[in-house]
Amino acid sequence: MSWREAARLSDVAFTELSFQAIYAFRQGNLAPPGPAKTAVARARRRVAQSKAVVSFVLALLALGAAVALRAAVYRGSFLTSVVPLGLFQAGVLTGLLVLEVAFLWWTGMQVLPTFLSSGVLPVLESLPIDDPTLRRTAALLYLRLFDLPALTVLVATPLAIGLVLGPIAGLAILPGAIAVVGLSLGLSLVTGRFFLRRVQGSRGGGGRTVVRWTYLVLWLIPVFSMFIFVVAAPAFLEWLGHLAMHGPSLGSQLLLLAFPFPLAALPALASSGPAGLGLDSAGWGFLIGGLGGYAALTAWSVVWVLSSVRQVGLIPPIAELPASVSVVELRPQRPVLAVLTKDLRIASRTPGYAFLILLPVLDAIAIGLLTYLSPPGSSTAFSIALGAVTTAAILATFFGPAFFAIEVFAYSYGRTLPLKDRTLVSGKVVLVTAMYLVASATVLGISLARIFEPGLFTVFIAAELPAVGAAAFLELGILFRRARSHGLPITNLYASAWTAFAVSVPGVVIAAAPLVAFRFVSLGGESLGLLAMAIVALAELAACAPFALGGSGP
Amino acid sequence: MRSETLPLAIEDLSVVYGERRAVDHLSFSVRPGEIYGLLGSNGAGKTSTIKSVVGLVRPASGHVRVFGLDAVEDAYRVKERVGYVPETSLLYEALTPREFLEFVASVRRLDRGFASERTRTYVSAFRLEEEFEEPIMALSNGTRQKVLLIAALLHQPPLLVLDEPLNSLDPRSVRIMKDLLVRYVASGERGVLFSTHTMEVAEQLCHRVGILDRGVLRGEGTLPRLREKVAAGDATLEEVFLRLTEEGEGVRDAVASLGARG
Repeated sequence: MSWREAARLSDVAFTELSFQAIYAFRQGNLAPPGPAKTAVARARRRVAQSKAVVSFVLALLALGAAVALRAAVYRGSFLTSVVPLGLFQAGVLTGLLVLEVAFLWWTGMQVLPTFLSSGVLPVLESLPIDDPTLRRTAALLYLRLFDLPALTVLVATPLAIGLVLGPIAGLAILPGAIAVVGLSLGLSLVTGRFFLRRVQGSRGGGGRTVVRWTYLVLWLIPVFSMFIFVVAAPAFLEWLGHLAMHGPSLGSQLLLLAFPFPLAALPALASSGPAGLGLDSAGWGFLIGGLGGYAALTAWSVVWVLSSVRQVGLIPPIAELPASVSVVELRPQRPVLAVLTKDLRIASRTPGYAFLILLPVLDAIAIGLLTYLSPPGSSTAFSIALGAVTTAAILATFFGPAFFAIEVFAYSYGRTLPLKDRTLVSGKVVLVTAMYLVASATVLGISLARIFEPGLFTVFIAAELPAVGAAAFLELGILFRRARSHGLPITNLYASAWTAFAVSVPGVVIAAAPLVAFRFVSLGGESLGLLAMAIVALAELAACAPFALGGSGP
Repeated sequence: MRSETLPLAIEDLSVVYGERRAVDHLSFSVRPGEIYGLLGSNGAGKTSTIKSVVGLVRPASGHVRVFGLDAVEDAYRVKERVGYVPETSLLYEALTPREFLEFVASVRRLDRGFASERTRTYVSAFRLEEEFEEPIMALSNGTRQKVLLIAALLHQPPLLVLDEPLNSLDPRSVRIMKDLLVRYVASGERGVLFSTHTMEVAEQLCHRVGILDRGVLRGEGTLPRLREKVAAGDATLEEVFLRLTEEGEGVRDAVASLGARG
């Protein structure tokens, strides 16, 4: 057996993986209608589309960094007058590499649960295939999850930087791009294994639930890298300027060791020369040490990934020793609450759903903290806080389809229970609106010291609430009606462009309409704006709730 | 017999997938106090019939009635009266058995004391104490099957619909399950529809059996009556099944062919 055989096997396995990812066949969905060949081709096309979206974002990031560098090189800027050009370039490229790691890592965390739960590797294990081929197949299969995004990092980054700083600098960023890919693959696998054992495989019970959600919050940090970057970039560049002014120090030496600064410094050295970074002999030592360390870490990560994917793919999702329960007790709830509780419990062991639930709250915390950059009581602080609530409302429109997708799990079994669609929809709408309220309350709590009109702010939150509910009703109504008419669940938003367009766009329009009304009508007074907002939101709720709740069969 | 007291009546049922007819004008009933075995080879239409009872498949024609209620027109009330164990153990993978059963008990609006008491009884009978707080995704097929059985029995449904329920169970649990089913219908009001292709189980457990072949009912009744039908005095159910489905010769040819090839 050979690498060629491993590539052939991984291609077959990847087709199965794509099919599982799109149609959730193992979760009990019926086979999609039409010939199997068409369904398989569709699944592969949709997985390719998802990868293309991530790759597009990565290419945009490289382009954004190139634009920032070009502005500094050709026009100069306020920042480069404070920070030496070489240091500025290294700083921008540090940001770019961090964002690329974050996006690739995040991509890995999204696909790892599907990869590990698909059962593709255990099936291969049962076949008469020799060990090296199995190991290679597993490794190639894992690499295929990242192929287009990783290739984008490896090609678009040097290309974009090369166009602005010259071909040598473009080549000089290549080690950084390689490190980004190598380390992201490793991080994804480590966190994938970790979550398999400690989150997905976590036993029931209150204490463990808290631990699971804590892990999931930590797990979400890469997603906020873009935001952290936007908030922290000026302060980071300012700090670089401070280091440059004061010459070599412990801070500058630590910087030369911190990931991914040494890798980002290479193109800057190629473009602006050693003077641009102001390195002394110790600085050179740290830089070379840092580069060597990250090269070794990347190599180790790649070797570890290639040799461990097979083993990780076969791990049973339980790490804890079995323990007998002493009290067998059930606490039934009202059906609507039971749907809500079930969704929260599933989310606490499913990172993809936990991400959605935590996103608005973490977003609210992040934007809420921004109000501290404004003077207390200023209209800017008030605008930022309103912006945070607006973001929470718009983000809430993504939850409807996501919570519908939860029903993909055991969908066929769920349909045999006396559970009306309207109960399911109501439970999910309650969850969506609760998340909006928690996010809004978080903003209010954080920014209370900066806003002197908490009453006005609270009315704003309350006026938008019916629109959030209306958007959730509309989206879930569309999805459940479509599922009923087709006899199939729609697995996720990526499953069909139609779903994304026909579900999410109306949801966003419904959630945004009262905010637009407020924006225009409040020119004549804030109270009038809030009144218009509330009227629009209530009218939407009155129209959307009957659409979702009416005519819903069991 | 009045249709309101008949646990299950299937009348001229057809189930069609695209151009394939999985069930073809099928009619049979499950009487009160009866365990009815639906027998058939793989692809005979057993699961499609069962799915039309529990509302997973819409019949192309015909009717399914549970205690007189139409399974399509009155689906909600039918689901209230049915306990169902699917062929494949597909559950909410990220929930533990406790969380899953809590959800089922909530949807079925069961009282806390009643639900807990019944769960305790079955958890103890099936020795599920160690797995009760494990995520379902980590459980073996047999353990998942036990969880599904408990979920189906939780609300004491008047009709149990079991699709190959004993497939993954250990011998101890199979024995418990068999005894439980016999006692379940002993009151004379409840019914059990039980699909299997294990003839010995059907012979031991079922009051009557229906033999399905390519969506068509080839024979129905008690074992003695089926023996009469195929004129086989002391034949086993397996022999009766093979004669009714006209697979006897095919089986002999297949065995001969396997023997020749080693």
